[in-house]
Amino acid sequence: MNALESISIAIDAVRSQKLRSSLTLLSIGIGVFAIIASTSIMSTLQQAVNGQLADLGENSILIQRTPTINFGTNWAKMRKRKNITYAQAQQFRDRMTTTQLISISNESPAYTIKAGLESTNPDVSLIGIDDQYFAVNAITIGEGRSFIESEVILNRRAAIIGTDVVKALFGQGSALGKTITIKNQEFDVIGILESRGGVLGQSQDNRVLIPITVFNRYYTSEWDASVDISVKAESKLTLESTFDEAVGVMRALRSVKPWDENNFEIDTNDAITGQFSGFSSALLIVAWISGLGALVAAGIGIMNMMLVSVRERTREIGVRKALGARKRWIVRQFLIESITLCQLGGLTGMIGGLGSSWAVTEILRGTMPSLSYVMPWGTVVFSIVICTVIGIGFGLYPAWRAATLDPIEALRYE
Amino acid sequence: MSQPIIEIANLVKRYEMGDEEVFALQGVTLTIGRNEYVALMGPSGSGKSTLMNMLGCLDTPTSGSYLFTGENVSDMDDDDLAEIRNREIGFVFQTFNLLPRATALQNVELPLVYSGMAREQRMQRATEALTRVGLADRMDHKPNELSGGQRQRVAIARALVTSPSIILADEPTGNLDSKTGQDIMRLFGELWRGGNTVILVTHEEDIARHARRIIRLRDGRIESDEVNPHAPLA
Ligand SMILES: Nc1ncnc2c1ncn2[C@@H]1O[C@H](COP(=O)(O)OP(=O)(O)OP(=O)(O)O)[C@@H](O)[C@H]1O
Ligand SMILES: [Mg+2]
Repeated sequence: MNALESISIAIDAVRSQKLRSSLTLLSIGIGVFAIIASTSIMSTLQQAVNGQLADLGENSILIQRTPTINFGTNWAKMRKRKNITYAQAQQFRDRMTTTQLISISNESPAYTIKAGLESTNPDVSLIGIDDQYFAVNAITIGEGRSFIESEVILNRRAAIIGTDVVKALFGQGSALGKTITIKNQEFDVIGILESRGGVLGQSQDNRVLIPITVFNRYYTSEWDASVDISVKAESKLTLESTFDEAVGVMRALRSVKPWDENNFEIDTNDAITGQFSGFSSALLIVAWISGLGALVAAGIGIMNMMLVSVRERTREIGVRKALGARKRWIVRQFLIESITLCQLGGLTGMIGGLGSSWAVTEILRGTMPSLSYVMPWGTVVFSIVICTVIGIGFGLYPAWRAATLDPIEALRYE
Repeated sequence: MSQPIIEIANLVKRYEMGDEEVFALQGVTLTIGRNEYVALMGPSGSGKSTLMNMLGCLDTPTSGSYLFTGENVSDMDDDDLAEIRNREIGFVFQTFNLLPRATALQNVELPLVYSGMAREQRMQRATEALTRVGLADRMDHKPNELSGGQRQRVAIARALVTSPSIILADEPTGNLDSKTGQDIMRLFGELWRGGNTVILVTHEEDIARHARRIIRLRDGRIESDEVNPHAPLA
């Protein structure tokens, strides 16, 4: 009876002090919301990214001018790095001895692709590739074929397109053999990529691949004329030596002095995964710190509410003490009340957090069909625990005040 | 007289108000035995409530000794006092002091909750107590659904549900009309005849007349302590 009674008193208190309690409950809600939503979205994405990177193939190394995911790196230094030119990349490919699986590519975002009267949104990635691209990256052609070496050398106007582009331009019809136009240049469609979802909300099917020589001629400007080099080691065993050789060759080509750092970025798949988790944990830390901050602020609000509650019920406390309630009974009663308040706020935040992270997942699923919602059970449990801790932590002082009231003064209180 | 329930000697209660001192009690010596029926009378400010609070273990004296069923109350801490109040003392207040959101039954159960009694037994005892005060048909009513007299009956049921050694009532009829007041006094009379020890504070001679012994206070001292010649027969 007593615990239930305390819970119903807490709910009554919320009703009778609507504004103040809804603000307090709101800030608990926000705290729990921040924690739940960020954790849930991040674990959903993490799951997707892990899947995608595994897809990118084992034992591969990526060489770029600047890192893919940039978090807290020195931008001034990055900007000073010279481009990795196509010529330099070709020299690199020729000098490498431990592996022949080397592909040079470059990517430029936001193109509109046309075919007849149809056109795509202006958000298609255009990627210049060479004939090794599909051997090095674990991206596969669904229909048609890839480029052969001579097509790359001779600037053949041919394209391999993603399924999003096929849908936009040709609907359900076949795209092979059709002609598409990219900024006034016409291309024959010779292949279609296998659909593969997306990473971080960016579809990997909304892209067009053309020979890098054509790409370099028509679609690069000074600032993005740096190419990416993908290197696939022959096996896990040779990954390290290939990595070391790649570093050595690049340093030589780019004249890095022995005492200077690399002026390019070289990473294995594992390292890129690591970068993502570094990025996501930084985001999580920010969300958790602000969430916990909101919870502490809410805790002070709870304490205030409880002090008001103790004052308003001074007489009742006096009666309870006269009837023989020991200190710990009174403490218990008020703690149950403040925990209930916290859980009420926490519940709203939890529902909001789970709902919105589910909604975000649904939206991202538009571009990442492989995404599945990850229910953050651990965090749900954590929120319940933290709400209890806050209820106890900030309810203890008011509860103690109530328990140590002088019974006579409390009974006389008007 | 058998083993006395209350033995107080030279009881003094001093309140400090800033640099002024108020002596609410200035040396009260008194013994009350089992199954007595005592009325405390005296002018306003004479120390009646202070003495009742002391007897009820709600307050501790500034000096003097208080033995409750032979135990020294002055040495006890808050939780010990709470336990004595729970086990041995039933309070009836002028303003009833029922919990507004609890039903009559829940109000009467409350002291049993604090003594740790199991739920079923609690319900049974509380039902018995309410039946005894004639409220068997009002158990699920909240205080605001009851008349003043009925509220005071609930309070009396709550006071006697633990079978305490004494029932203390500070002006129990003060907020009731005289007819309802007389009904309540008849109830106290029944409790006393049933073996309870009853001590009550009152201003009214009509009320005090029900008691067997009348103690009059003045300025924190006992002025007179005599058997009530008008008391109805036991
Ligand atoms: N907490 C307190 N602080 C200071 N003085 C107090 C306190 N409680 C009681 N007194 C003083 O002690 C004296 C006795 O008070 P008490 O309440 O016992 O009187 P009473 O006989 O019950 O009066 P009444 O018939 O009006 O209820 C009074 O002078 C009162 O002002
Ligand atoms: Mg009084």
